[in-house]
Amino acid sequence: MQQLVSVTLSALLAAGLYATMAYGLAVIYGVMRIINLAHAGFMMLGAYVTFTLFSRFSLDPFIGLVVVGPLFFFFGVVLYRAVGKSMARSGATPSIESLLLLFGVWLVLQNLAYVIWTGDTQSILTSYTMKSIEIFGVHVGVPSVFVFLASAASLIFLNVLLKRTYLGKAIRAVTQNRDAALLSGVDADRISATAFGLGTAFAGIAGGMLSTLMAFTPDFGRSFLLKAFCIIVLGGMESVTGVALGALVLAVLENVLGAYTPVPTSLQDAVSFALLFVALVAFPQGLPALFARFERKAIR
Amino acid sequence: MHASHSWRVTLQAVFLFVFAGISARAQDSEIRIGAVLPITGKESKIGGAYKAATELAVKEVNDAGGLLVRGKKMKVDLRLLDDTSDAAKSAQLVEQLIVQQKVHAVIGGYGSQLVQAQSVVPERYGIPFISGGAGASSIYGRSKWVFGTLSPVENLAETQMDFLFDLVKQRKLKAPLKISLLRENTEHGKDFQKGVREFVNAHPKQFSIVLDESFELYAPDFRPLLMRVEAAKGDLFMCDAHLEDYIAMHRTYTQMGLYHQMVTYGARGADEAGRKALGAATDYIFASGWWSDLLPYPQVKAFNAKWKAATGNNPQWYHACAYETVRALFAAIQNAGSLQPDAIRNALARLVLKDSILPGGVLRFSKTGEATLPFVVTQNKPAGKLDLVWPKAAKTGEPVAPIPR
Repeated sequence: MQQLVSVTLSALLAAGLYATMAYGLAVIYGVMRIINLAHAGFMMLGAYVTFTLFSRFSLDPFIGLVVVGPLFFFFGVVLYRAVGKSMARSGATPSIESLLLLFGVWLVLQNLAYVIWTGDTQSILTSYTMKSIEIFGVHVGVPSVFVFLASAASLIFLNVLLKRTYLGKAIRAVTQNRDAALLSGVDADRISATAFGLGTAFAGIAGGMLSTLMAFTPDFGRSFLLKAFCIIVLGGMESVTGVALGALVLAVLENVLGAYTPVPTSLQDAVSFALLFVALVAFPQGLPALFARFERKAIR
Repeated sequence: MHASHSWRVTLQAVFLFVFAGISARAQDSEIRIGAVLPITGKESKIGGAYKAATELAVKEVNDAGGLLVRGKKMKVDLRLLDDTSDAAKSAQLVEQLIVQQKVHAVIGGYGSQLVQAQSVVPERYGIPFISGGAGASSIYGRSKWVFGTLSPVENLAETQMDFLFDLVKQRKLKAPLKISLLRENTEHGKDFQKGVREFVNAHPKQFSIVLDESFELYAPDFRPLLMRVEAAKGDLFMCDAHLEDYIAMHRTYTQMGLYHQMVTYGARGADEAGRKALGAATDYIFASGWWSDLLPYPQVKAFNAKWKAATGNNPQWYHACAYETVRALFAAIQNAGSLQPDAIRNALARLVLKDSILPGGVLRFSKTGEATLPFVVTQNKPAGKLDLVWPKAAKTGEPVAPIPR
């Protein structure tokens, strides 16, 4: 019983972490049909900005996210305005130009970080970093709980934004059909810039949160990017709720395999990629589309 | 007719090439030493330290007039290139140093992956190669031209087991002891695992392994793995990890409230970055290293003072290993009395550097080209204190075992 509680809690906390890593990627893909290869670079930069705010201004890393979010939103919008013309504006598949461009942006950011912060391993140690709380007899790290709560708050924020506001409706309109949105009077270019800013802000916030859990260098983020790809494919690429669901499925699978099977934990990444493969072959529209299909069948 | 003509041309070209090479070497007025190091990129921190130590060793020799070769002093011309921590580029730059810059010997880089890529090039051209930054055994023994001053990681694990065995003999730890063994999924990790396993197999009454798992580098979540560690109920926790993984894993370990009588992360533990990231949670972790500035040898004290005077900081193990690598190469060149690659290579193979600053005090290479020096074991103590606890003859403090709860 204790193990079941432990596995459930671990899976939930890991899902929070994974979802945080993937939201930004899903927002940008949904609106612009761009696979943002610079996502890892934005996360790394988010970690360093949080670290700088903490070490220079003694700003708590989770409070620092209030600065990191808007700062990265602004950075994303500026970046889109500067290089957005080279990115895909319509069509259903990402253009090779956008892939190469964003890969280039990632490399520039990485090298910039080496120049500014050097290659030294950095980390954030707060008064609560090593603390844990007991939930049903299981010790869980305080920073992991904060990350989970922040991830849940992000999910609520994104859902409210996308479903209850004009901006959100415009984003969804561009996501569904860019040309039709344009004909309806939506400024698709402005919406794309906003979405790119939003995606960048969430990547920065994810980096900031990850900096409270682990050490980092300018190379940080590479392994998370692959996991984030898997999650958005699983979640349906355009839906933030789907992303959260995808993250949960992946986290549950990893934790259950770790606890109840002799499968080596070093195969965690293999689990992610196997899942990615299965998702692409069996339900390329993601889990939400799969559930919708089952629902339709049940009604019939 | 055509065939014999082309043979003649080819032979002439070969003679010209060989003659040009010989005459170029005959006219050498200085010793050209190539070095390829990761000065930028992900290994830049230690790569930069290797650069500083290499340059210091070269400067010292040049300030003293150079190396004695064929009865005359020759200055060293160091040609140092940055591979940006890229393995493919690293091998390419070694080739460039040998082919274009005609160096007499090459100093390899830092990091087993990078040195592994470099180490295939010297065999192609027959040029001596010595590295002070790669401990993976798979690099050595494949080419007679490749040497390394880092003892194999297997020995690191063996030293740790010797230390633990001694604690058992002192009755500080009570046998039999169950080990939870974790390792990163790299050559380094495999060597660590092999070292522990071999020792355990040889001492079945004292030790057993209850968990043996590997993990991928930079894993985002160590909780599933540590849940297995918790379930295994081991007495000792032995893990081989990179600095980033050590920090992430030990944070989770501490948050989960795990306890073992002794804890090690292989070579990690004494690092300043680790202590800064983990605070008091690093207390009593023991770590093995290739060197410590706490070693009581006079030559180590002299090196510490020299390094502090030159840089203003205390030397770390990587400074010492890089410095000693250059000294070993220079000693071999002087012993060879020649700049011929074969002569330098043979002198390296026969080298006995008696005033070495490395543990044991004498540096020599095994048949595979690796140095087989003992490791040191340090243990973190509260308030940022660090003690050298092994070898016994050099210890600066008593080991604390088991770790207080």
